[in-house]
Amino acid sequence: MKLTYILPLFIIFCVIWMWKIWRRHIDLFIIGLYLIPLVFFTFLFILPLSSLFLAAFFYGGKISMYWFTSIFTDTFFINFQPRTGYMFNVYGDTMYIWGLDYGVILNTIIVALMTTLFSSILGLVTAFILARYDFPGKNLFRILLYVPMLATPFVNAYVLGKLFHPTSGLINFIFYDLLHLFPYRIDLNGLVGISLAQILSYFPIVYLNVQASLINIDPSLEEQAENLGAKGFSLFRRITFPLALPGLTAGMIITFIFSMEDLSAPIGFIGYSGNPLAKKVMSYYIFQSFSEAMRGVITPETAALSLILLSFSIFGFIMIKRYVSLKTYASISRGGRWNPRVKRIYGLRLFVVYVFLISIAIFASLPQIGTILLAITDWIISGILPKNITLEYFYSLLHPSVSRSISNSLVYSFIAVLIAVFIGSSSSYSVARFKGIIPSILDILSTIPVAIPGIVLAVGYFMFFTTFFRWTFLDPLLDPAPLLILAYSFRRLPFAARSIFAGLQQVHVALEEAAMNLGASRFKSFFKIVLPLILMHLFSGAILTFVYCMSESSTSVTLGALRWDRGPITFYINQVVYGSILVGSASVGASLCVLLMSIQILAITISNYILKQRVAIYGF
Amino acid sequence: MVRVKLDGVNKRFGNVVAAENVCLNILESEFFTILGPSGCGKTTLLRIIAGLEKMDSGRIFFDDVDVTNLPPYLRHTGMVFQNYALWPHMTVFDNVAFGLKIRKISKDEINRRVKEALELVKLSGLENRYPHQLSGGQQQRVALARALVIEPRVLLLDEPLSNLDAKLRIEMRSELKSLQKRLKITTIYVTHDQDEALTLSDRIAIMNSGRILQIGSPIEIYNKPRNLYVASFIGKCTLLNGEVKDVEDGYLAVKCDDMMLWGVPVSDEFTIKIGSKVACILRPEHFKIHVSEKDNVFVGYIKHISFLGSHNEVRVKVNGNEILAIFDSDFNIDVNKPIKIAIPRDRVMILPYDNAF
Repeated sequence: MKLTYILPLFIIFCVIWMWKIWRRHIDLFIIGLYLIPLVFFTFLFILPLSSLFLAAFFYGGKISMYWFTSIFTDTFFINFQPRTGYMFNVYGDTMYIWGLDYGVILNTIIVALMTTLFSSILGLVTAFILARYDFPGKNLFRILLYVPMLATPFVNAYVLGKLFHPTSGLINFIFYDLLHLFPYRIDLNGLVGISLAQILSYFPIVYLNVQASLINIDPSLEEQAENLGAKGFSLFRRITFPLALPGLTAGMIITFIFSMEDLSAPIGFIGYSGNPLAKKVMSYYIFQSFSEAMRGVITPETAALSLILLSFSIFGFIMIKRYVSLKTYASISRGGRWNPRVKRIYGLRLFVVYVFLISIAIFASLPQIGTILLAITDWIISGILPKNITLEYFYSLLHPSVSRSISNSLVYSFIAVLIAVFIGSSSSYSVARFKGIIPSILDILSTIPVAIPGIVLAVGYFMFFTTFFRWTFLDPLLDPAPLLILAYSFRRLPFAARSIFAGLQQVHVALEEAAMNLGASRFKSFFKIVLPLILMHLFSGAILTFVYCMSESSTSVTLGALRWDRGPITFYINQVVYGSILVGSASVGASLCVLLMSIQILAITISNYILKQRVAIYGF
Repeated sequence: MVRVKLDGVNKRFGNVVAAENVCLNILESEFFTILGPSGCGKTTLLRIIAGLEKMDSGRIFFDDVDVTNLPPYLRHTGMVFQNYALWPHMTVFDNVAFGLKIRKISKDEINRRVKEALELVKLSGLENRYPHQLSGGQQQRVALARALVIEPRVLLLDEPLSNLDAKLRIEMRSELKSLQKRLKITTIYVTHDQDEALTLSDRIAIMNSGRILQIGSPIEIYNKPRNLYVASFIGKCTLLNGEVKDVEDGYLAVKCDDMMLWGVPVSDEFTIKIGSKVACILRPEHFKIHVSEKDNVFVGYIKHISFLGSHNEVRVKVNGNEILAIFDSDFNIDVNKPIKIAIPRDRVMILPYDNAF
């Protein structure tokens, strides 16, 4: 293949490039600083995605747009006249809300837009209330709003499917049978269901980003506006909102990207009811063709579709980069330098705020509450409400195949964290300390993993490593574990890199220069001066990276499926929810989710209260 | 202690010139100050000497050894940073001992030398404090002790007093000076404060936009500024442009607008002939009210008076020009009243016009 020529050329090019820098700095430390992350990104990002390009743009041995034109002309992918689907259609006493089938690509975009729109509204309102109003119980709501972010991969949508089941769902039981508030039984499923599941788990991303922006607004800016006569909504519209816009935009675009690459919601709904519309999104389609091609070859069509999905999220990423720079998020993590403006509220206003916050806290936590119920009761078979408490599903965690997935996840995540921290510190250090083309490339590369759909990465890794690293330890067909570890460290790198970068920004360059002036080499001054000063940031970044490695799902369910004894937790959850395994039920998956949530809560607690680091979960 | 020689140092940051063909020859044990406004490149020059900044071209010598390509950690200079750069995670002792530990000096020796250094800066007893537990002045002394303890070949000071309050600054100034004289250490001091430069330095280099404009002792710089920038940067002055009309006993007669002004050229190096365009520089403190023969006399009226406690700054309008003069605090003529002031002929400094800017 052509890549066999391009690869050596690329490496020679890199070496020449390096040599130029070598001569300028004559400093081994800096060379290592640049070279190691660049090699990492070359093999885990640039080359695998290049092989996707090669596959997608070749047809019959020639460069061609064939696969793209065939996708764009196929009504399966794009269809402006939907013939299937239900949107508010009533049959008997049930109203079906599944969404209409506009083809896989358009469906994905519509779902992502809807998710982004509603997440933004909810996130913006919540952020404003919590940042600007003071009322009893505010801190409790702050904590409760972390709950929707707790990882319940695959099970979240399964729970929603169960709650909205027309006859045996709890929601319909309460609002139709009991309170007669719904005119019909509601069957919420398919594309609309996917979007709902995503809104519930992603609106806190918008909320946290906007809140960070709001807290960082210098109160004197608003006070000046008030001094000049602005008040109420006009003050919000003219001053506060524009200043919070970077946070809102960042949150919106992240939500959009996450929605497009989400596998958890489609698989959860399919696992619960086999709904045909839940299968009609790009991420699921790619996942499915990956599973079918498991031991064979990935079709160029899948590669092309992956590239289309990738281009959407990269586009979003570029938008963020243009709008909210790396510097903004550094200042976000510092935060709270001044007393933010808060207003005490009473009476009707307080009541409205409570009603809003309580309903959103409950509704958004439904997947987590449901997951816990599935894990500790017989709810999965008992119908509308759980009847008995059981520890049966927790005991099943001790089953060899389940406990093996747990230990796999722990080992993978631990090693991945070490790699991510190492790569993250070298790239952040060069971004924070040096100017030039390589640091700016590293800057982009160490944040871009957020924008790379895991499923696309999995396809790229599979194609690249089974072609060029066949029969080596990186060959996923022999053993996917090493590649999974590298995939985790790449995908979760931004968490480590961002935290370390924030730490580095607080270490003045003069502190290192003083050490060098007194005789310490750059290497020594890094380890004696910089490292001790950023240690807390480093640990907090490592903990966060660990948590998100544990709950990583896209590459886990694809690459992890290549050898079942190597599958991590999320792979196992996927198997039981999706129903392609006979051992255990979704409740076993739910108890694994409870385990994940506990790890997550523990990590956030350690980070916030012991390391005293404010953890921004997602954001730029 | 070493001589420091800079030979044709050039440095640009993008379009900004930080150093343009800078040549300096700093003598052994000299207190040498680089004085200039912020952004003139003086800190960059100091960092180039320390090796923290790479220059575009030029060479640097310590004595006769070329250190141009030596990394900072091999140059053996002691630098005090503007913000002190004390490591917040280390105690005073650890901060000061750092350079010695890096040099793998024995424990006893480290203890002895750190103790000595702290005594030198009068901080004995504070070894176990952390930087945030110290006052600004104390932090500054720790930074100084940290730089001195390694017995550097050159002491580099980057505006070390600028973060202190006015009273402390003046106190530290004299301490610094006596310390330097005692240790006889070659010192390069960077500042934008002309008072500091004048009181501390053996020699001063005035810098602007990356260029060295004049090098000389404080007295030379003040009394014989070689160009207008130096004249106005050090002390205050009034500038009058004119044309040389006559020469008599070494004095030049300059016609400025309608006035005839007698004065002396700043340096013999300049060739000033009858008909040359020149600039006259008048220091405000050289004006007096009592007129004697041969003085240059100005008749005008008072435009503005600033009372400054020890003296009055008076702006006198003479024809189209405004002249700045300083008088005693018992000066008691009101604004808008006519006044006659005078300046001796040998106090009027004359610069060729081409050289002035």
